Amino acid sequence: MTEWHDAAATDALSDDEVMGLSIAGVPVALFRQEGAFFALHDLCSHGAARLSDGFVENGCVECPLHQGLVDIRSGAPCSAPITEPVRSYPVRVVGDRVEIALNR
Amino acid sequence: MTAMLTAMPENDATYVVVGGGQAAAWIARTLRAEGFAGRLVLIGEEPHWPYERPALSKEFLRGTGSVEAITLLNATLAEEAGIECWLGQRVTAVDREARVVTTADGRSVAYDTLFLATGGQARRLPGLDAVPAERVHTLRTLTESERLRGALAGAKHLLVLGGGWIGLEVAATARALGVAVTVVEAAPRLCARTMPPVVSDWLHTLHEANGVHVLTGTGVAGVTGTADGVAVTLADGGRLDADHLLLGIGIEPEVGLAAAMGLALDDGIVVDAQGRTSDPRIFAAGDVARHPNAFAGAALRLESWANAQNQAIAAARAALGGTGVYADIPWFWSDQYGVNVQMLGLPGLGTRAVARGTPEAGSGCWLMLDESGIAVGAVAVNAARDLRVLRKLLEDGRAPLPDAWADTATPVQRLPSRPNVGMD
Ligand SMILES: Cc1cc2nc3c(=O)[nH]c(=O)nc-3n(C[C@H](O)[C@H](O)[C@H](O)COP(=O)(O)OP(=O)(O)OC[C@H]3O[C@@H](n4cnc5c(N)ncnc54)[C@H](O)[C@@H]3O)c2cc1C
Ligand code: FES
Repeated sequence: MTEWHDAAATDALSDDEVMGLSIAGVPVALFRQEGAFFALHDLCSHGAARLSDGFVENGCVECPLHQGLVDIRSGAPCSAPITEPVRSYPVRVVGDRVEIALNR
Repeated sequence: MTAMLTAMPENDATYVVVGGGQAAAWIARTLRAEGFAGRLVLIGEEPHWPYERPALSKEFLRGTGSVEAITLLNATLAEEAGIECWLGQRVTAVDREARVVTTADGRSVAYDTLFLATGGQARRLPGLDAVPAERVHTLRTLTESERLRGALAGAKHLLVLGGGWIGLEVAATARALGVAVTVVEAAPRLCARTMPPVVSDWLHTLHEANGVHVLTGTGVAGVTGTADGVAVTLADGGRLDADHLLLGIGIEPEVGLAAAMGLALDDGIVVDAQGRTSDPRIFAAGDVARHPNAFAGAALRLESWANAQNQAIAAARAALGGTGVYADIPWFWSDQYGVNVQMLGLPGLGTRAVARGTPEAGSGCWLMLDESGIAVGAVAVNAARDLRVLRKLLEDGRAPLPDAWADTATPVQRLPSRPNVGMD
């Protein structure tokens, strides 16, 4: 069974914004894109950088360390030097709260 | 961005990449990722699989990194992608008429398209022959980083000749390992070739605060070996003793092959914005290539990780018929004492620094303006985000209003900006 964790208020983020969270000890980057929420593991698959410190543009987040791009919706690598996907977590909205599932 | 491919080569074409470093690896990977289906041969002189060098003066030197973490291509990836890698082999000749590449051990391969990504070699000082080789270090390769790490493990005092980025990073890592460090720089300030005085001064203070003895404006008259180390005589007559000597005095682009081939050279191999040399079948990228840089409005040879990667990708695409050009604004980073420094554009050309935050205290970004008020670059200290937003503006031909840049009350994304042109 999926266990949902409370993450943030729906109005905590505007479109194209990102915030770093710690959910049950797991670092999570929560994004908002065109009104919908997406969550990625908050660690770049190329090195020791937080994607929540990154720059959001055109549906991707750019890593602050070496400027690799990751697709916010899927965690897929979009540009060098990132070649491995970043784990993405399921997200749902319940009332005015955003919830994230860590297990899949 | 995938550029339009107009002329994908035939399946029986052979593309050869000379050089086994970062640029070479990205050329080979990109050719395959973009659909090149012919034979692909990468020839590199080092015995290692292609790797990224930045960690060699940082994590890897310190002992907290790994070879896997910096490797760009390994046996599995090469096999999967169909990249024939001839490692540990130096290309000694290229016959441009016959289009044949020959290695030191006499192997040869005919090419349709050739890439030169031969990088550069650490400069050495003349007159060091009498100094025991195990006491003198340069740092360019994984092998040299391992050797220096071994030396630092038993050292009390390291002497670094050259106050540029490599020298300073090694100084920082050596301090973290508990080794005393003296940095001797001939120029009046650190990183003078690329940085404005405000950044040099900050670096000087940062290193002194971490216990490094920094001597700027200090020439070296001679180096001798001693029973258990090295002794350096300074131009002013002073003498410094140390267990080991690191030469951090820059690199020479590896252009020997290109020179013998008769390609156009100018402190590096001259290429166009697509990485094409004076021979249209031959491309070059990375530390060895001098390209027309749109932001600088001048030809530049950059020695940076981002340039090695992105210029290589652009050249590989161009060789497949792509029409895109390499037009990045120069970008470089360094890590010292846990501080992340990022540089954009050509900050050394600036004459006026406008600080956002307090970079000298460990968090902020200097915007550098030239005499006419044009933003020529920036240096961020633990402020990657400020620099990223600035990059976007500069890419769009704009720059923040200087007063607004200094005002941290306004989020960096919302700063008022203007076209990045002279103010007179
Ligand atoms: C210690 C260190 C730290 C660095 N830190 C940073 C940093 O923090 N940030 C940053 O932006 N940049 C950094 N750089 C710079 C960056 O690593 C270089 O710009 C980059 O490696 C250049 O890549 P390249 O492929 O052009 O050249 P190289 O990496 O030099 O690769 C060239 C390769 O070609 C091989 N070769 C040469 N001639 C031949 C031949 N005739 N036949 C076959 N093979 C040949 C060489 O053996 C070498 O392996 C650092 C560099 C070093 C050395
Ligand atoms: S750590 Fe993210 S791109 Fe390198």
